[in-house]
Amino acid sequence: MNAIILSAVLGVVMMFSSVFVKNKSALKHIAAAGLLVLLIANIADTYGCSLFKIDLHNMLRFDKFGLFFNTIGIGATLIYVVLSGRDIEKSGNYVAEYFALIFFVLCGLTLLTSFGNLLMLFIGIEILSIPLYILTGSDKRNLKSNEAAIKYFLMGSFSTGIMLMGIALIYGGTGSFQLEVVRSVFASYKGVSFLEIAGLLFLLVAMAFKVSAAPFHFWTPDVYDGAPSVFTSFMATVVKAAAFVAFIRLFDARVTETSAAVDWKMLFSILIISTLLIGNITAVFQQSVKRMLAYSSIAQAGFMLFALFSLNDMAKEGLLLYAAAYSLATIGIFAILIKMKDVSFEGYNGLAKTQPLLAATNTIFLLSLAGIPLTAGFFAKYYMLASVIKTGSYTWLVIFAVLFAAVSAYYYFRVIQAMYFKNGEAQTDTITPGFKAGMVIVAAIIVIVGILPQTILNWFYF
Amino acid sequence: MPIQYYIALAACLFCIGIIGVLTRRNAIIIFMCIELMLNATNLLLVAFSKMYHGPAFAADATSTAGIDGQLFVFFIMVVAAAEVSVGLAIIVMMYRNVHSVDINFLNRLKN
Amino acid sequence: MHITGLLLDAPQANTAANYLPIALQLLFALGFVATMMIVTHLLGPKRKTADKLATFTSGIETHGNARTPMAIKYFLVAILFVLFDVEVIFFYPYAVNFRALGWSGFYSVLMFVGFFIVGFFYIIKKGALVWED
Repeated sequence: MNAIILSAVLGVVMMFSSVFVKNKSALKHIAAAGLLVLLIANIADTYGCSLFKIDLHNMLRFDKFGLFFNTIGIGATLIYVVLSGRDIEKSGNYVAEYFALIFFVLCGLTLLTSFGNLLMLFIGIEILSIPLYILTGSDKRNLKSNEAAIKYFLMGSFSTGIMLMGIALIYGGTGSFQLEVVRSVFASYKGVSFLEIAGLLFLLVAMAFKVSAAPFHFWTPDVYDGAPSVFTSFMATVVKAAAFVAFIRLFDARVTETSAAVDWKMLFSILIISTLLIGNITAVFQQSVKRMLAYSSIAQAGFMLFALFSLNDMAKEGLLLYAAAYSLATIGIFAILIKMKDVSFEGYNGLAKTQPLLAATNTIFLLSLAGIPLTAGFFAKYYMLASVIKTGSYTWLVIFAVLFAAVSAYYYFRVIQAMYFKNGEAQTDTITPGFKAGMVIVAAIIVIVGILPQTILNWFYF
Repeated sequence: MPIQYYIALAACLFCIGIIGVLTRRNAIIIFMCIELMLNATNLLLVAFSKMYHGPAFAADATSTAGIDGQLFVFFIMVVAAAEVSVGLAIIVMMYRNVHSVDINFLNRLKN
Repeated sequence: MHITGLLLDAPQANTAANYLPIALQLLFALGFVATMMIVTHLLGPKRKTADKLATFTSGIETHGNARTPMAIKYFLVAILFVLFDVEVIFFYPYAVNFRALGWSGFYSVLMFVGFFIVGFFYIIKKGALVWED
């Protein structure tokens, strides 16, 4: 509860700081301070210290999983603002509003991690999406940014329409929007009615749109490529992970395993296979690192879908670990990409000579995304695949995923190869010592989590 | 009237909306089709709300069964208004840059 | 009657003779419209002078083009109007049961209005409602 209210209030504070704070460079410090307050308030909430006592009528349900994910999301945003705050400043005239919109996105995220009612799911998704439409189009004179914004907006509201139809049909079948009522109806029926199954399928399609799973991924590369790089970084990490948490809260084991009318495991395995296939194969052929990262984010979504496939405790742990590992690594890679003058693969040629520290940290991030041992990404992938093995069926899916993890190593190593083994003069903007220190800290977190994944998960169980 | 008629009408409107989104090229018309999808949902929600409210009301005049469906419609309308304002702003931004709202113009991001 | 019932009944009515009146009526309607359009086109007198083709607006001379671009500030005000107008929807359920909801309901609505006023101050401070340039 702390995080929901504080993020909305902090968003309003940021809006007004555009009117009252004349010094533009002070804004990112205000935003970082606000995020720190939000982070502390949310951790306090996790340990039972809630600032607000409101009767919620079960519209929102706070559990450890959701609150812990809030911590990851807010923490990743804090790191993002610290690393890229200067670039957000440079991206337009409305700096305070950009930060305000980021706070509103976090408000949507906190709603999505704790919704107990389909109404809250809808409102959370919309609060998450609407600020992003604006951030995508924030580069007003750039036609690519325009195009990305209009595509994202049309596709986003289209999927919202489908989601609402699903909610309406489920309401028709069960007579309630409350998640536990819906679940009990799904659990009690011998043959669930047509309305409920159709509604759940509509919801599946809509959520697949939001997390850009494969048959519904087509907007992702264009939007991620066209949006200003600073905001792509935010969209591809925190927002995507939040959509996954909403997905897994909605498709709880109690909903999918009891309704035998649809083979949910088969449906999810089709989604996973097509996502891994399209994401990885298309990423191989990209010429621009930014677009490659867009496709790689689709491929990573394929791995995160494993959590929805197996739906056990290990999957939930794995999703948290995956969200943390993937967000940190991608935020780091984008922070470097924003500093590059040329974002094609050639632009990275010889970065190891001009900026050895950046090249080294970038390598760690890329290795983590590829899932090489001793990085956080390895254990994230391990947990996902182990959760599938635990369910005892569909072992071939694991083999398939490992094969595609190997394919993904190819395009991540292309960047490393360009940085270390190709001759060239990689051009970057001026790099401040503070930025370098930030990169080293993020890389250190990834390696520490990679060596001791139990630390982060033990905290989850404390 | 039985609920099937409402479901059929809402399904028809929803399908018209989906087909419009998939086939039309004008950003404003696509947007209107999306609104049509939302309104089909509103209609269905109100119909279901009445379906649940009717018998409960006959049994007990103070019953509030089915009211949540109508409240959901309020939220859809308000959030749709917020979405409209952002969406129209984006479309106007595009119009000022390219003097067209045809989405065939959007091909800069294809390789 | 159920939709499924309607669909199941349909085959029983499916003999060609039952549809003959409908087919005749369709043919007649289409033929009548087509004939009339062709005949008026052929027989009607045509005098295409400049005065005849001009737009007629109650005798007043036309001036300017209807498709002149509007100033963007109208658009901004229209959007803001839509936002503020639609939010009033939440007052209706409150107004219906404000007695039953008591003080807690009042505080909730007060908070809602408070956020609203904050938004209103924001657009005023940003100069979105300034008409003169």
